[in-house]
Amino acid sequence: MPRNRTVRFAVLGSSVQRTAASGYATNRSSALRRRIVVGALVLASLALITVSFRSSALDGVESTAATALSPFEVAADRVSAPFRDTVHWFHGLVNARSENQRLRAENARLRHELVLDQAAVYQNVQLQKALDYQGPPSIADFRRVTAEVFTNPQSPIDETVTIAAGSSKGLVPGDVVIAATGGGAGGLVGTVSRVWAHQSRVTLLTDSSSHVTARDLTSPSAIGVVSSGGSGNVLIFDRVSKSKRVLVGDTIVTSGTLGKGDLPSLYPKGIEIGKVSSQSVSDADAFQTIQIQPFVDLSSLDSVIVLVPKQ
Amino acid sequence: MDGTKAAVVLFVAALLQLVVLTQYVTFRSGSIVLVTLLSLALLRGSVFGALAGFLTGLLIDTATMGTLGVTSLLLTVSGFWIGRYGETTARDRLHAPFLSVAVVTVLYAFCNLALQFVLGEPAPARLVVHALLPGLLLNLILTLPVYGLVRRLFPPLELGDRVREVRLLG
Repeated sequence: MPRNRTVRFAVLGSSVQRTAASGYATNRSSALRRRIVVGALVLASLALITVSFRSSALDGVESTAATALSPFEVAADRVSAPFRDTVHWFHGLVNARSENQRLRAENARLRHELVLDQAAVYQNVQLQKALDYQGPPSIADFRRVTAEVFTNPQSPIDETVTIAAGSSKGLVPGDVVIAATGGGAGGLVGTVSRVWAHQSRVTLLTDSSSHVTARDLTSPSAIGVVSSGGSGNVLIFDRVSKSKRVLVGDTIVTSGTLGKGDLPSLYPKGIEIGKVSSQSVSDADAFQTIQIQPFVDLSSLDSVIVLVPKQ
Repeated sequence: MDGTKAAVVLFVAALLQLVVLTQYVTFRSGSIVLVTLLSLALLRGSVFGALAGFLTGLLIDTATMGTLGVTSLLLTVSGFWIGRYGETTARDRLHAPFLSVAVVTVLYAFCNLALQFVLGEPAPARLVVHALLPGLLLNLILTLPVYGLVRRLFPPLELGDRVREVRLLG
């Protein structure tokens, strides 16, 4: 509708120039003010991007602001928890019967495996002592810091989460993050990429910059690199030689540092990553094509454990 | 008064987006913050939209510990542009909020992708294209209740103006 239209009122029989709504800028000075404001805001945004991206000058401010925001985030999480639990409860109810049967079968199998594993662990400890074996660090060589997840990934291209633990708890960039499941340790989640005093940002395993040296637990000589599958909660187990036997259902774990290189792996050995969901070999490729389904649902995390090296 | 109300509305929308909705993958492609901001910009104009966009972007960048200014830049431009549309051709048009949300959702996704690419961050275009349609649908579904609520909280300024005219003539 044109702004300076003329309204004719029947009662008065005269034309009345209708004024523009007070909230809208109409005249030349308002147009200038509008341009100045938006120009200043765009410039401020660009300046913030430059400073934030190229230096750590704003880290203190960002950390303070994030700390001030965290009580609101916790409150929002607490308020939404009953609704979320209700959704999960209904979802669980639908799948309860089939899941119960599957878990009973799995429980029986795991009980049997536990007995065998305990015997193997005892034998392993004895042999390591006898041989004075010095292997790569394992998960037992790290202190565990449990932290709540503040924010999950915000968009389809975002593969980071923020957690409620920072440098005050001894975290540094590069620390390995695993899932916290039922009081125990779960599968691999990612690594700490930025650290503030009371918060940190974690880059997930599904980010295209994440690469982990891994091996097949069933066929330990099958060693490769786990990286992002490009979409959703899927990973690729790459650079596995065609001569190695990898089967669907095999468990893939971190291999830790291999050999005696100058650059040790960030990841301690033996952290579960996922199960092989598909495997194929083609003449055109130099390596096997292996997809992994992670043990952890990286798209929705509640809490995580950060592995901090013991001093 | 409008500024304070808008700050509260956008803060709540941002918290909802950051803490609650993004826990579900389905909601991750949409953005209640964007829909709320565009509704506000349509009703209160370009300067209001740009300022609200800048501050909301800062809030989101701070909470997610991302690169400061990225979301601010995108939301500032979105708020300003839709605010101008609201000041000019969109007034009194029923389809304006839906058209604004649809266009800005698509442009926001691609501009965000371009910005991430320029900054050297991972920018997988395939993921953005895949999430575009669900995001568009979700944002359009959100538009009706969100715009309704925002319009109730921020009545169009024209109405008050009309009342003043009649009083003067009477």
